[in-house]
Amino acid sequence: MASLSTTTSTGTGDSIRSFADLRRQTRLLSSRAASNAQLGRRLPGVVRASRSSPRLNGRKLRVAVVGGGPAGGAAAEALAKGGVETILIERKLDNCKPCGGAIPLCMVDEFGLPLDLIDRRVTKMKMISPSNVAVDIGRTLGPHEYIGMVRREVLDAYLRGRAADAGASVINGLFLRLDQPEGPGGSYKIHYNEYSAGGGGAGERRTEEVDAVVGADGANSRVAKSIGAGEYEYAIAFQERVRIPEAKMEYYKERAEMYVGDDVSPDFYGWVFPKCDHVAVGTGTVTHKTDIKKFQAATRLRAKDKIEGGTIIRVEAHPIPEHPRPRRVLGRVALVGDAAGYVTKCSGEGIYFAAKSGRMCAEAIVEGSENGTRMIDESDIRKYLEKFDKMYWPTYKVLDILQKVFYRSNAAREAFVEMCADDYVQKMTFDSYLYKRVVPGNPLDDLKLAVNTIGSLVRANALGREMDKLTL
Amino acid sequence: MALSSFPAPPTFFSALSSNHHRLPSSVKPQFHPLALPKRNLSLFLARSTDRLAAATTVDETLEKKGDPPPLELEEKKPQQHRHHHQVVLDSDGGSAAEARVVQFKDPRWVGGTWDLKQFSKDGKTDWDAVIHAEARRRKWLEDYPEASSNDEPVLFDTSIIPWWAWIKSFHLPEAEKLNGRAAMIGFFMAYFVDSLTGMGLVDQMGNVFCKTLLFLAVMWVLLIRENKDIEKLKNLFEETTLYDKQWQATWQEDASKDSNK
Repeated sequence: MASLSTTTSTGTGDSIRSFADLRRQTRLLSSRAASNAQLGRRLPGVVRASRSSPRLNGRKLRVAVVGGGPAGGAAAEALAKGGVETILIERKLDNCKPCGGAIPLCMVDEFGLPLDLIDRRVTKMKMISPSNVAVDIGRTLGPHEYIGMVRREVLDAYLRGRAADAGASVINGLFLRLDQPEGPGGSYKIHYNEYSAGGGGAGERRTEEVDAVVGADGANSRVAKSIGAGEYEYAIAFQERVRIPEAKMEYYKERAEMYVGDDVSPDFYGWVFPKCDHVAVGTGTVTHKTDIKKFQAATRLRAKDKIEGGTIIRVEAHPIPEHPRPRRVLGRVALVGDAAGYVTKCSGEGIYFAAKSGRMCAEAIVEGSENGTRMIDESDIRKYLEKFDKMYWPTYKVLDILQKVFYRSNAAREAFVEMCADDYVQKMTFDSYLYKRVVPGNPLDDLKLAVNTIGSLVRANALGREMDKLTL
Repeated sequence: MALSSFPAPPTFFSALSSNHHRLPSSVKPQFHPLALPKRNLSLFLARSTDRLAAATTVDETLEKKGDPPPLELEEKKPQQHRHHHQVVLDSDGGSAAEARVVQFKDPRWVGGTWDLKQFSKDGKTDWDAVIHAEARRRKWLEDYPEASSNDEPVLFDTSIIPWWAWIKSFHLPEAEKLNGRAAMIGFFMAYFVDSLTGMGLVDQMGNVFCKTLLFLAVMWVLLIRENKDIEKLKNLFEETTLYDKQWQATWQEDASKDSNK
């Protein structure tokens, strides 16, 4: 409907053009890299199986995992468990990552996370529209269902600990660069600064020879730069941690809030998430990064009543990728997690996909190397890409559609909040978030939902047009 | 009059005098003394003196704040219809953003929703007025965002307005305009084709080419209502496939390398 597209069209227009440019750049880089690297990663013929890869004599496959967040920790654990010699390089072992910190139930199950890792269980969410229509969602949650809020330093340390227990060696160091291998079966040389146990100083330069590298070093990934993976659009998430009085904290005991509106963010949302003993108030944007402070002030204004008397204890900001990098694998180097760009649209969720992609990549390497006994090649790692894309593409696409439809304008956001009041919508939303499955429900209900959605959008847009007539 | 120095919110007065539809956004709302009926004047007087008091206390607190100040949000004074909000200094010591915002206020907005009894006209609810009132409220909040309050939640749901009211207000005028356009285009195209080919209207309807032209003309009128809609439609199409392309990017490379070998 022509009336639905608005100002965001200029933003996406730019992104379309810039993405095309990025593709051209990476194509140039890839041709250069291919000529420089002389990687013989394709055997003549169609079948690209690692069965024909040489057995490693007397040693196990060596893999370096760069980055010790959820992706790196999960990858290192799966690799070590699979019999691969693993080193995990993390630059700051006590890093207090700025992050929403929300994890779905399926992560707790799939990764066997102990329940004391979770600071808070959010069972109620409040969505607040631009005109302050507030809708509570969470009515349909079962008694055992919740969104887990964790502290990143706690979660990351736990996953790294598990990797170390499985046999990976965790190194406190900063990855600098990697050198491509000389020949087809050659090893990668990684250069890093190792920090001594004392912590201070610039660290000692070290190099390691490894057979494969897993780049789990986040949104500003150096491994990605090393393989010319290309850039992606990213959002800036800006967050202030506010300690509020006990009485107000009670309201946020199990509740998170989401504020939508042009004042709060033109293409994202503002949030108030409860943490262990304080709340995180923040917002984000892709297209208007320079106005982020203005959006933060607006978020604070909208939550004013509920965070009054609070003191800011920390201010933090971080980039959130909007889509995967043009290249996620090159040779025997793979990207996982934020480094690859696996963050959903609409909700900006990344922790689960980071951990899952790390694990899947590691499992693909273990399988391709037959538990560390054979050399692997790019096709083994591409199996992880295939599996990941196939499993989670519906989730990503649905969230992309939701973002395109409902974050377009204030009118669309009003319709969004109105839709969230519906029980069926709440059930579908939580099902898809908590268990990462896009389950088609009863077709009659789906039809009703479609009709209601169109109705809400039409009404909201009609009001929007009326609003435009009021002032010129 | 000393009162004329205080800006007045347009919504309050437009509720009383319905010809106040225009709100020039670049200009602060002006006070129209003539528009006020007598009894509301005294109410306004009472509130404005409160604001005067509020203004002085806020200025004092500003001076008291040292450097660096922790971010403390002002206590909301209860029982004041017109609140004096102030966004406090940023903790990084930036310039104080003083937003003297006035809350949305309308006598028909009761308890977080529109009181339909106040919209009755000839014994039935005037849904058009409800729609206009809600549009005005949303416009107000868009220009002057407010804190979301748990004590005074917004409970209004647009679905209480019956479907025929929406059709009457929005669909029918638009449909009339579009049908008018289609009719004009149709008339002139029919004349033009007739003068070129000699086919009368009945003959044209039997011809496949003419029927295709008719279909295209109808689609054009429906989809493209302003010049910029053409660009919008093109962008919309590219947009729907962009995300897919971004995900496929890593596979395109794989395929192109295979084809190179």
